[in-house]
Amino acid sequence: MTDIVKLILDLLVFPGGLFAIFFGLFLIGIDRKIAARLQRRIGPPIYQPFIDLVKLIRKEMVVPDTAHVQAFRLAPLLGFAGMMAAVLLIPITGVYQGFGHSGDLLVLLYLLSLPAIALMIGGSASSSPFGAIGFSREMVMMMSYELPLLLVLVTVALKVGLATGGIATFSLSEIVQFQLENGALLFDYTMLPALLAFLVFIPGNMGVVPFDIPEAETEIVEGPILEYSGAGLALFKLMTSLKMVVVLGLAITLFFPTPMGENFLLNLLWFFLKCLVLMVISITVVRTSTGRVRMDQAFKFYLKYPTVLALISLILTLLQG
Amino acid sequence: MKKLLQKIAKKSPWLYRINAGSCNGCDVELATTACIPRYDIERLGCKYCGSPKHADIVLITGPLTARVKEKVLRLYDEIPDPKVTVAIGVCPISGGVFRDSYAITGPIDNFIPVDVNVPGCPPRPQAIIDGIVEAIKIWETRL
Repeated sequence: MTDIVKLILDLLVFPGGLFAIFFGLFLIGIDRKIAARLQRRIGPPIYQPFIDLVKLIRKEMVVPDTAHVQAFRLAPLLGFAGMMAAVLLIPITGVYQGFGHSGDLLVLLYLLSLPAIALMIGGSASSSPFGAIGFSREMVMMMSYELPLLLVLVTVALKVGLATGGIATFSLSEIVQFQLENGALLFDYTMLPALLAFLVFIPGNMGVVPFDIPEAETEIVEGPILEYSGAGLALFKLMTSLKMVVVLGLAITLFFPTPMGENFLLNLLWFFLKCLVLMVISITVVRTSTGRVRMDQAFKFYLKYPTVLALISLILTLLQG
Repeated sequence: MKKLLQKIAKKSPWLYRINAGSCNGCDVELATTACIPRYDIERLGCKYCGSPKHADIVLITGPLTARVKEKVLRLYDEIPDPKVTVAIGVCPISGGVFRDSYAITGPIDNFIPVDVNVPGCPPRPQAIIDGIVEAIKIWETRL
């Protein structure tokens, strides 16, 4: 009984749910502020995403006449729910153990594709031609960034698995435990290419410039989320903020989960700091300093560089083991 | 509680531009207001959005030519309530240099309720920002 209560609390209040939403929205607010400062603007206040949410919830939700109503209404919920579940699997060292047991890395991989699928369903259910274009682009984007992601995950799993005497371990807690004992994978030269590949994967998955092709505002006016307003749009914004936490948290878990000490709050702050630095490197700076690339360019880019980098890591790991 | 939410929500007005047959002068000024760091309007919480479904404050430029009238009215209907309309430039008020032309059906407030007028041909970015601030005040009462 207490297990269930604890699980529900985990899901709704502390590492998942409310806390993760606050965490993600705060990160996005800081991202917007830093992006503005990099462009020599003043920028919105850091709490701007919260204000946007309150506003969106107070607005009316318009459903187009020609849309498939159920799919249109359920798509944002699907993406949001998937990300809520995914946050639960991310361990914060020294603060939270992570929910999963043996195969949570694989579960996380599947959950990570849910936001893109939700966008696809929403875009195609809205019956808008821009939504349909967004759908096909989202699909191509997903196909191009999933391969390097999978290779990186397999590399880390193999590395930890071979070192602990098995074949490959897909358990996040074992990966964290291994790194606590043998030092973070960030400082292992064989893992550096994989880390780079993951850094390149982040902007593609988060859909920011230069890889915001599915939601290109200036070409296809935000594509899949074009027809969403009010609460639906708010759910998509929440989904994006949770995805930010999941993707950054996953990178930290895989490569640098080292805690700051025993203190609970200090560890939480340390995790936040790591997220912040990673976000600035892989999202903010990238999106303020580049322009959008074409679909075929992005596809070729992802199949060339991150894939090769991840493969190098994989081969090095296999040679070592 | 409602008052508090109202007070919070008014800090996030998203802008949407409708070109009702304008000569592009006002649109260039609008782009200037949005894109140049000097007039950064993101500090007010504003954001230009591509979709009418996301909009709160509608900026209309141009004298409403006969060609675009139907489309502008349809677009206006697609914007979810509560919304505020700001007419940018002198064209929406009187037709400006296109006054008495056979091709225009304006003034715009015969068809769409206009809340704020920003006159000028084209108006300066500061005037546009001032108009947006006025619009936010009106928007607050409708939230």
